[in-house]
Amino acid sequence: MIVFDRVSKVYPGGNTALKNVSLHIKKGEFVFVLGHSGAGKSTFLKLILREEKATSGRVYVNGKDLTRMKEREVPYLRRNMGVVFQDFRLIPSMTAYENVAFAMRVTNIPEKKIASRVPYVFSLVGLSEKMDKYPDELSGGEQQRVALARALVHSPQLIIADEPTGNIDPELSLEMMELLSAINSVGITVVVVTHEHELARHFSKRVITIDHGSVIGDSQTHREEEVGEVIL
Amino acid sequence: MKWSSFRYLAKQGLHNMVRNRLMTFASVGVLTVCLIITGVAGLFTANMNSLMDYLGSQNLLVVYPQEDLDEAGLAQLDSELRSISGLLEVTYVSKDEALEMMRESMGDQGELFDVFEGEENPFLANYRVVLQDVSQMGEIIPQLEAISGVDEVTYPAQLPEMFVSLHKAVTIISVGLVVVLGFVSVVVISNTIRLTVFARRKEINIMKYVGATNGFIRLPFFVEGIVVGLIAGVLSAALVLGGYQLLVIYSVDFTGFMGQMIADILLPLEQVWWAVLAAFLVFGSLIGSVGTATSIRKYLKV
Repeated sequence: MIVFDRVSKVYPGGNTALKNVSLHIKKGEFVFVLGHSGAGKSTFLKLILREEKATSGRVYVNGKDLTRMKEREVPYLRRNMGVVFQDFRLIPSMTAYENVAFAMRVTNIPEKKIASRVPYVFSLVGLSEKMDKYPDELSGGEQQRVALARALVHSPQLIIADEPTGNIDPELSLEMMELLSAINSVGITVVVVTHEHELARHFSKRVITIDHGSVIGDSQTHREEEVGEVIL
Repeated sequence: MKWSSFRYLAKQGLHNMVRNRLMTFASVGVLTVCLIITGVAGLFTANMNSLMDYLGSQNLLVVYPQEDLDEAGLAQLDSELRSISGLLEVTYVSKDEALEMMRESMGDQGELFDVFEGEENPFLANYRVVLQDVSQMGEIIPQLEAISGVDEVTYPAQLPEMFVSLHKAVTIISVGLVVVLGFVSVVVISNTIRLTVFARRKEINIMKYVGATNGFIRLPFFVEGIVVGLIAGVLSAALVLGGYQLLVIYSVDFTGFMGQMIADILLPLEQVWWAVLAAFLVFGSLIGSVGTATSIRKYLKV
């Protein structure tokens, strides 16, 4: 699903965000990408979304080489992935329903399909009765679920959650993680980017740790290190 | 793109205009002023051109041979005159023909000239010379005067000279105005759209992440820019043409030589309105799209 092959990213100005990163996230996996702020998580995300291009190495998503992808193909790449941002990025002047419908409308989907699909994704995230509320009438956790509904609306094969616990109560974040697990259980790849060790540890899922632009730990390929850490 | 999508996006663009109405109003205003100035310059040029054509058709020079010139001298003069380049037409008018022409031009009172028949004929034989290009008059007159046997060359004063330079000046100023005001208009529209784009940057950002194509994201802004351009185009066309029509109507009462000439020369409204309107609409929507294109680029780079 996602392959990084010796990827480095140096921003103009000389700031090296990622150094020679190689990793492989398979289809249907549930992965935490763990790291402090400034470790290179955002760059990792931007490379997957093809917001940035790798300086060297190759990034593949869904079998497509993003480093060679043309600018006009990018929108179609993004329709295959759903992103839940830390700050949700809902449009305040639109209702929850409109916010989700908006994502379909701007990708040229006919009204008829929108009218049947949007209520369905709201039922998936358990927010059917609040579709007509505006974002500021919803709690943080509910807004996040609207954002998740929007991410799901294109039936993506990949869901990316950026700091899903950053802006909501710990209790609600657990709920969110359960929702993501449920989504993962139907075969959708889920990547959770976070700085919270506790969150990653709480679930027995694969954890990729990034620090100073390098992968310093991967629970799947470096079990010994993990074990060692636990013993110490 | 589907029709329903297009309708949705066009509606978004119009919605932006209403939401931004003060800025929309301001940019329509500035653009209208720019277009009016451009339009006035354009109409002035068009009328100058028509005046040049008119003068071009009136560019008759009369060459008088010396009265005592013999047959051989006249033949010599004739061939030299016809060898000068830049002449459209050279016609010889004998004494008798000159008298006849005058008699005809007087109509009923033509018989007054009967007394000048024969030896009494006061008219002089002459050559009527029409130039190909009135602006060459200054160069050709000395050539005509240099022919041996030529007594005098008469021509319509210095009027053409003045008009040639005036025409040049007006053309240069008009082109300059169109360029400068076109640039100003693009900046104005681009600022208006930038404001909308800025207000909607969050939406644009979200659109980018959910996989909207750039064309899709741009369209509402283009609708806004082009509609602003078109409104300004219609408005300024109405004002310019209205003013022009008033000028045409009132010019009939103009007095004096220049006033009379203006009244004679002014192109009728029927001949110019479609060109002005079409130019304004094209210019307006062009400026609208260029202005939009320059203001939105930055936000699409996500």
